[in-house]
Amino acid sequence: MKARGAVSAALASAGILLAGWQAGAQVVETSSAVAASAGTTGTGTGTTGAAGTGSAGTGASGAAGSASSSGAAASSGASGSSGAAAASATYKGALVQTRFGAVQVQITVSAGKVTDVTALQLTDDDRKSVQISNRAAPLLRSEVLEAQSADVQTIGGATVTSDAYLSSLQAALDAANL
Amino acid sequence: MNTQLLPAPTAHKGPDGAGPRAGSGERAGSGRFAGQHRLRMLRTDLLTVAAWASMAAAVALWLADGGAASISSPASAVTAAGIVAGLVGMDLVLLMLLLAARIPLIDRTIGHDRALEFHRVLGKPSLYLLLAHGLLVAVGYGMAEGLDPVSESVALWVLVPDMWLAFVSMGLFIAVVVTSLVAVRRRFPYEFWYAVHLLTYVAVGTSIPHQFSVGGLFAEGTWQRWYWLAICAVTGAALLYFRVVQPLAATSRHRLTVSRVWSIAPGVVNIEMTGRQLNRLTGNGGRFFVWRFLARGLWWHSHPFSLSAEPLATGPDGAGTLRITVRNLGRGSAQLASLRPGTKVAVEGPYGLFGTAARSRDKVVLIGAGIGITPLRALLETTPFAHGDATVLLRGSTKQELYLSDELLEICRRRGVRLFHLIGPRARWDSRSWLPADAVRSGYSLAAYAPDIAEADVYICGPNRWAGNVIAEARAAGAGAEQIHHERFDW
Amino acid sequence: MPRISDAAAPRHLRTALKASTFRCMGTVISLTLPSGRAAKGTALEGHSTEGHLAEDELAATAAVVERLFRELDQTFSLYRPDSEASRLARGEITLRGASDAMRERYAEALEWRLRTEGAFTPERADGVLDLSGLIKGHAIREAGTSLLALGREDWCLNAGGDVLVSGSPVPGTGQPWQAGIVDPADRHTLLAGYPLGNGRRRRRALATSGSAERGDHIWSPAGAAPAFVQVSVAAADIVTADVLATAIIAGGLPMLDRATDGWDVDVLAVRADGTLLATPGFRGQGITAIAV
Repeated sequence: MKARGAVSAALASAGILLAGWQAGAQVVETSSAVAASAGTTGTGTGTTGAAGTGSAGTGASGAAGSASSSGAAASSGASGSSGAAAASATYKGALVQTRFGAVQVQITVSAGKVTDVTALQLTDDDRKSVQISNRAAPLLRSEVLEAQSADVQTIGGATVTSDAYLSSLQAALDAANL
Repeated sequence: MNTQLLPAPTAHKGPDGAGPRAGSGERAGSGRFAGQHRLRMLRTDLLTVAAWASMAAAVALWLADGGAASISSPASAVTAAGIVAGLVGMDLVLLMLLLAARIPLIDRTIGHDRALEFHRVLGKPSLYLLLAHGLLVAVGYGMAEGLDPVSESVALWVLVPDMWLAFVSMGLFIAVVVTSLVAVRRRFPYEFWYAVHLLTYVAVGTSIPHQFSVGGLFAEGTWQRWYWLAICAVTGAALLYFRVVQPLAATSRHRLTVSRVWSIAPGVVNIEMTGRQLNRLTGNGGRFFVWRFLARGLWWHSHPFSLSAEPLATGPDGAGTLRITVRNLGRGSAQLASLRPGTKVAVEGPYGLFGTAARSRDKVVLIGAGIGITPLRALLETTPFAHGDATVLLRGSTKQELYLSDELLEICRRRGVRLFHLIGPRARWDSRSWLPADAVRSGYSLAAYAPDIAEADVYICGPNRWAGNVIAEARAAGAGAEQIHHERFDW
Repeated sequence: MPRISDAAAPRHLRTALKASTFRCMGTVISLTLPSGRAAKGTALEGHSTEGHLAEDELAATAAVVERLFRELDQTFSLYRPDSEASRLARGEITLRGASDAMRERYAEALEWRLRTEGAFTPERADGVLDLSGLIKGHAIREAGTSLLALGREDWCLNAGGDVLVSGSPVPGTGQPWQAGIVDPADRHTLLAGYPLGNGRRRRRALATSGSAERGDHIWSPAGAAPAFVQVSVAAADIVTADVLATAIIAGGLPMLDRATDGWDVDVLAVRADGTLLATPGFRGQGITAIAV
């Protein structure tokens, strides 16, 4: 009797774990498949020849890349019958990790114009960070991370024009390192 | 040696006799209780499966969410271990609560005392898992963010909603388990232990918000969230129904009132109560109820006592009397002797498996010592057996300690039961003995009194060490574990 | 806030760095690299040049970055009448006929418009497509990728106040690059500092947008007066930092909260009255320990 209970408990547990594992593997497969497809189409960009551009960039470039080919095919097919018949196609962007989880957008292009942008995926992947507040709060100037001009290596600021650069702090730093 | 031996009735079947008499090779496979026993064993297995499956399901929730694939670094592995520990830990806590909820299905399958035994066994593992959960998650998150676990904990406490509650919950869990262990060892009053246990509900309650609000596993819209909500809700509902609603319903249904209190031996009183619908309580001989006498200074004490006689429902609407027999054991019990007639009584139960529901064989052997004799009396009154198929052994150091022996003798005569009075001081030189010194000297053993014990259900009720010795000898005489029914009275 | 009075800082306290600058996209781009042995702090001056960053090595590296910026500028600058962007703006070509590079950036810009709920937009108030809000960040990103592809692990790239770094000014130490953020009220004063690097928070990029200097490249959706005169965003990648800084200037406080809720970033915002709003990461010592 004890053996029967133990064996069936073991079998049931193993079955449940296996089912969970399978379900989990599927979740991972689908998400990695999406990421992979976005990633592979994106590698052929060739503007810079540099490998491994940022995820948002590659995904979007991949979508745009496929947009050109399919869009062309559609227009060539439609040209004979009616010039007004607009080719419509949708493109998916890359999965982008945000604090809210993965975000993926879909762009619908119709007659060369973007007619719709929708969010495909908004999941709670990031298990903790969703909940953490990183909101900006009032801060006294004396409370910010201090910067001594002597020990900074670069200067950030709103875009400096070439003319303004000459008198800027960054120019002083660059001059010191020339 | 002072052993009273009734003439063994001739082996004829009574009018209510069992079916075909099984031979000496009788096993659980036949006889009138075989089906009941098989069903109970099946239920035991199903409960075992359900318990393990729930733990597997807790892990599966995480796996199904792609948990295993999320492990990509030492930090995420530590975090994952922490999450799994938390899931299984919470599952164990829920199992513990269910085991303590006095759910009839569990009670009639493994019995109240074994349920509490499992409950106690799960205490430490669940605490360790919850501790591991807290530590591993703090370390894992800390590793991912380059913080030491303490800073990470501070950050979690300060920055993440509901996390401070989780920290409070953890503190309470530690407090509950530690004080229960100490309370059991130091024999603190039952009420202290009870109050500490009430904190468990606070601990579980404060742990719940962060389970749903922190982390994506139980995020809104996931089936995991529904499952987890469901098991929490079912556990809460079971506790509420079986620990609060049922007792209130039973109390208002039976309207029990103390009608008579009389002493039957030094320090031992019979308490008779009148009430309604007592016919609904028949057949529960041996099982215990939790009593609460609603008198000044007594109402907050609850007492687990068995009925010492079958309820007598004589009037309309099941109106009648029932009786418990109480020995002056603790502070609470002592005051019971001064109970006034007319005192209202709150009742819950019946609980436990010390009754006919546990029967697996046609034959039965009842062995009781001291106040442990009283539940046997009610059981003997009703549990089915044929003439000559039952044996009763009553143990006491003096004749006066064989409480209710006159009533028992009467029942034994009527139903054709072999009855032995085993009176005298115990054999001090033999720590494994449960018999009087005289009997041990004469070379008697359990098998001498109950030769067919290997084919009988054995009910044992008495002080723990004594009962342990009886159980050991019964097992040695060939009784299987499922044939031995023992009610612990030290809860 | 001490001003920089050139060379006032003791020389030995400075990290030995080499910088190279060039003009592009209407601003100046500086590439700074640690210079060899002196960076390790052991060699005395005037010794063999063996460990030093060879001048031509820096020049070659900077040339790669410069070429990349120029190519992008040629395509995307609205200041060049012959650029693809200008022809697109004039309606001479449509997006469908545009280059892949153009459409990629356009798609990315649209994605950002969606994610910032319109606070960032690639269209000017007059309806002209203007990707310049994205192009500088994109150029920095591509340059950074190229630098890494060239095997350069420690560098700091500053394009008109937007910064992307890798590694450390003192190679091998993990010591972050210290970035100063200018005070919009006095551009010769530093308002705050921020460490950039591959450390645990992986803040490699710092972008700052202002409504003062070149306010014309930021549009407020409501047309209201901007709530912030300057917004700095530190993030893992420069495009996110740049876009969000722009979006917060345009979208005000609601966008600031959306940004900090939705992205793993630190933000320092300067209000018109000079007061500050900042995420915990911009706080001084003591409090940063609990900043997650």
